Amino acid sequence: MAKRPIFDESGDSEDLQALFDSIAVESSVPVRPKLEVVPDPGDNDDLQALFDSVSAQAAPKPVPLRDEAQGDSDDLQALFDSVAETLVDVPTEPTMAEPPEHSCDAVFTRIGHMTRQLHDTMRQLGYDRLLQDTANAIPDARQRLSYIATKTEEAASRVLNATDIAKPIQDSLHDRSMLLARRWDKMFGNELSKDEFKRLAEETRGFLKDVPQQTAATNEQLMEIMMAQDFQDLTGQVIKKVVELAQNLESQLLQVLVETIPEARRHEAPEGLMNGPVINSEGRPDVVNSQEQVDDLLESLGF
Amino acid sequence: MPDPKMKFLVVDDFSTMRRIVRNLLKELGFVNVDEAEDGVAALQKLNSTSFDFVVTDWNMPNMDGLTLLQTIRATPALKHLPVLMITAEAKRENIIAAAQSGASGYIVKPFTAATLNEKLGKIFEKMPNKAAA
Repeated sequence: MAKRPIFDESGDSEDLQALFDSIAVESSVPVRPKLEVVPDPGDNDDLQALFDSVSAQAAPKPVPLRDEAQGDSDDLQALFDSVAETLVDVPTEPTMAEPPEHSCDAVFTRIGHMTRQLHDTMRQLGYDRLLQDTANAIPDARQRLSYIATKTEEAASRVLNATDIAKPIQDSLHDRSMLLARRWDKMFGNELSKDEFKRLAEETRGFLKDVPQQTAATNEQLMEIMMAQDFQDLTGQVIKKVVELAQNLESQLLQVLVETIPEARRHEAPEGLMNGPVINSEGRPDVVNSQEQVDDLLESLGF
Repeated sequence: MPDPKMKFLVVDDFSTMRRIVRNLLKELGFVNVDEAEDGVAALQKLNSTSFDFVVTDWNMPNMDGLTLLQTIRATPALKHLPVLMITAEAKRENIIAAAQSGASGYIVKPFTAATLNEKLGKIFEKMPNKAAA
């Protein structure tokens, strides 16, 4: 189960706060501030080195601008401002910059910029609340989907069990009637003795008496199969809810993205080979629609 | 006529599908059927017991069907095994990749008993020694 993200009063998640803290330049420290190294299991050596190199260059300028209107906490505001200061200072500072450190710096400050933008926009649009609610709804969605998987599996089991019971009954009826029919053919061909005929008549009578019981048993299984379809109603409702949830989340995230990162930098997600069943093949020339097409394709390739 | 005692391994992460394939094979007279839920489990079984035929899904955790197929074809003791893929993956890319990796057949889900029968038949025709009943 997903861990619920914890949000503080200012609306920032603990994780986000920790991240900001880890790149914060302490405004009170007079000389050459070192980056506060917050042991973050997510940071790897490269990231750490990046932060370290940037902190080595950061100028200590403690001028926190209070921005009451947005409701940012003082710490957070101070952080952003100190990062912004770093942005301004870097070009004028006599850097012992070797090319690698310069580009690291540029990347870092760029990310700082973008993050600030995203943060501000989300706040202004009230998305942070919305996303928080939606994010909380996700564990619920997972539960619902599990429910669906369970229900459908149960239904499949019930049906397969019913067919396992009914099949032998049908086979038996089939075989017995065939044998009797063959013997009757012989009878009509005058191949049976009087005793054999008597026996055949008795056995046939016995068989006919049996049939209703057998067909009743099969009907019972058919009924069971029918009833097992009841999952459809339950899962249908749940699926609707999850679809709505997904659509909400998607459109909100999309909007946030569109508004905060205007340069469209779209990467095509790498098209893999594990896509699952094709739901809608309309307008997709890369997909086949039937076994026939599969066979044709293979044949055309010489397989 | 293929040997009804042929040992099949059915690989799919959904137990329902494994059961359906098992039942269909039974209908065709093949009762010697074992199951595995992913490529890793399948290889364990293939390497410890002697099988005659593998029917596998593609999309599975731990090791997917394509990788299983490629591993089988790369293992001297197993490379002769017929491997029939039964999968929901329907992109041309998939079909081509499977064929190039040495799949003996490709069935796309949902499928019918008739299709399974037909594809099995095709593979049996091509199999050298197993034709003896």
